[in-house]
Amino acid sequence: MTALQKVPADLSEPPDAQERSRWFWPGWMLLALVIVIPPLIAEPLDLNKLSRLVVLVLAVLGVNLLTGYTGLISLGHGVFVGVGAFTMANLIDQGMSLFVAGFLATVFSGIIGLVLGLPALRVRGLYLALITFGFALAFPPFARRLGSWTGGVTGRTVVNDAFVPPSFLGLDDHVHVWRYGCCIAVVALWFLIARNLIDSRIGRAMRTIRDDEAAAATFGINVRALKAGVLAISAAMAGTAGVLQAILNPYVSHGDFDAFLSLRLYAAAVLGGLGTLVGAIFGVVALIAVPAFNGAVGLIDNEAVVFGAGLILVTFVAPAGIAGLFHRKSGNTPAA
Amino acid sequence: MELFLQRCFDGMFNGAIYASLALAIVMIYRSTGLLNFAQGEMAMMSGYVALVLLSAPGSAGFGFSLNGTEWAQEWVPFHPWPVWVAILGGVVFGGLLGAAVERFIMRPLEGKSTLSQVNVTIGMLILLNGLTLWIWGPFARSFPSPFPNEINDFVSIGGARLRHTTIGVWIVLLVVIVGLGFLLQNTKTGLAFRAITSNRDGAALVGVPVGRTLTIGWAIAAGIGALSAALVGGTIVLEPLTMIKILIYALAAATIGGLDSPLGAIVGGFIVGLAQALAPGYLGIPTELSLLPPLAAMVLALVLRPHGLFGTVPVSRV
Repeated sequence: MTALQKVPADLSEPPDAQERSRWFWPGWMLLALVIVIPPLIAEPLDLNKLSRLVVLVLAVLGVNLLTGYTGLISLGHGVFVGVGAFTMANLIDQGMSLFVAGFLATVFSGIIGLVLGLPALRVRGLYLALITFGFALAFPPFARRLGSWTGGVTGRTVVNDAFVPPSFLGLDDHVHVWRYGCCIAVVALWFLIARNLIDSRIGRAMRTIRDDEAAAATFGINVRALKAGVLAISAAMAGTAGVLQAILNPYVSHGDFDAFLSLRLYAAAVLGGLGTLVGAIFGVVALIAVPAFNGAVGLIDNEAVVFGAGLILVTFVAPAGIAGLFHRKSGNTPAA
Repeated sequence: MELFLQRCFDGMFNGAIYASLALAIVMIYRSTGLLNFAQGEMAMMSGYVALVLLSAPGSAGFGFSLNGTEWAQEWVPFHPWPVWVAILGGVVFGGLLGAAVERFIMRPLEGKSTLSQVNVTIGMLILLNGLTLWIWGPFARSFPSPFPNEINDFVSIGGARLRHTTIGVWIVLLVVIVGLGFLLQNTKTGLAFRAITSNRDGAALVGVPVGRTLTIGWAIAAGIGALSAALVGGTIVLEPLTMIKILIYALAAATIGGLDSPLGAIVGGFIVGLAQALAPGYLGIPTELSLLPPLAAMVLALVLRPHGLFGTVPVSRV
């Protein structure tokens, strides 16, 4: 054998294996346990609450895709969650099946995101953050006015009779487990799409825009079109979160989607870790853990104080968020 | 015509408030390139501090006692203060808060990405709003107007009532603009501030104390912002959500005028105020959707003149 035929050691593994931290396999196993155990032990009501949090991962993932990978800030993803939820409720009223309605509501949220964001995307800078924040504040009173669509002041119920396990599965007594499973499946599907997206040529283009917009344009990346596309996908993710929330908790009201939901989603994305997929999961863990911690300690009975302080602290202590603490290689995360 | 004038006056009262907060935002944006999302909440805390300073224990709000008034009664000399002195106290508090934020939060982040700096201001927005809610509760508080605000305190122009509070707010804004202009043009600190705005590295090279000047700049900006919270008194009640709405109006004003133009901030403030006052009456937009006209104006500005009426178009090199 000649030396030429010898494969260099560092090329013998698939490229992404090199980037795996030592937490990769333990992390997957932990995640699997965390997903599988709750349906075995939790009460139906608690499992429903958990499902609604799992669904929020999607909205945080949407923020992460936009901010962590493309460098655009949205302070209005709560709006897209709301649009998804209200659209779902109304499409079900039209007699559509859950699947079709959910798909259409997701697409519609994406389109709304595109329409709201387009004026801001024409200009470089923080204008998207400005304008989405404005819409986040304007959405609840706006939704209150559109009574026929949103149920006005009191909110409206959602017909979720069809969201039950098919009879051949024999899960008729465990509706909540089925719903939980469905949520996990949808979230996993979006994660798969997001991963493929960011590993692709488009993903590299996104990161280039994040790091240097002018350079990206010089490389022949259509900056404006790509930004708009990412915004649409990101808003669609949040829309799916709204879709699932609407059929999990068959009651939606304008009050559920106020500006602080948007701010919390953004805070969760930053706390979890921008520019890493797993960051979205950590972010939602923070969303759950903070109130639980407050309840246990009882020292600071104000979530906002903890979240705000956490957001400031994390920028100083762990610029790559919770996920960054587990990463040896931080080349994929935005420069701090 | 009478109604039109009346609406204009009302709009220009709010416009002056938005202008002063927008001015604070623009000052910080010009010197550091940072959009301070916490500007409104910093102002709101200062407003509450002013309210504590002027309220005797148990007197403020609609029957809800105000935290801190007992403490102030015990420790603050001559408490409760007259309304003007209390507002001044609030402005000083705002200035100190701004200086502290620059010195202890923003300066250590110097050289970090814009994203992490913006994240910190968003964190402060959430934190300060939470703190205000935590300390003073969700109740709406009436803030006494610093100007004559009785039912008969108005000047009649063409049948419309130009209230004394409105004139007062305009005068305060004018004083702030003249004072700021004097400070920037005629003092050494002002010169240093302008030097940093135009070329930060160059200014540092020729010996301008960048850090100290920026601290002073943040203090002044936060002080001007604090005025906006104190001056809404008499028309709008103070509650933990007041300033987040005014922040959006101010951001819209700054966008319309151009984020790096103080003149733009003031013009933008009045445009937003007028849009908000005139749209409900003439376009049939219900008042509870009063956020929409300013937002629409902002979108329109971004479409027609992306860098604002008076802003400069940035050039970037690779």
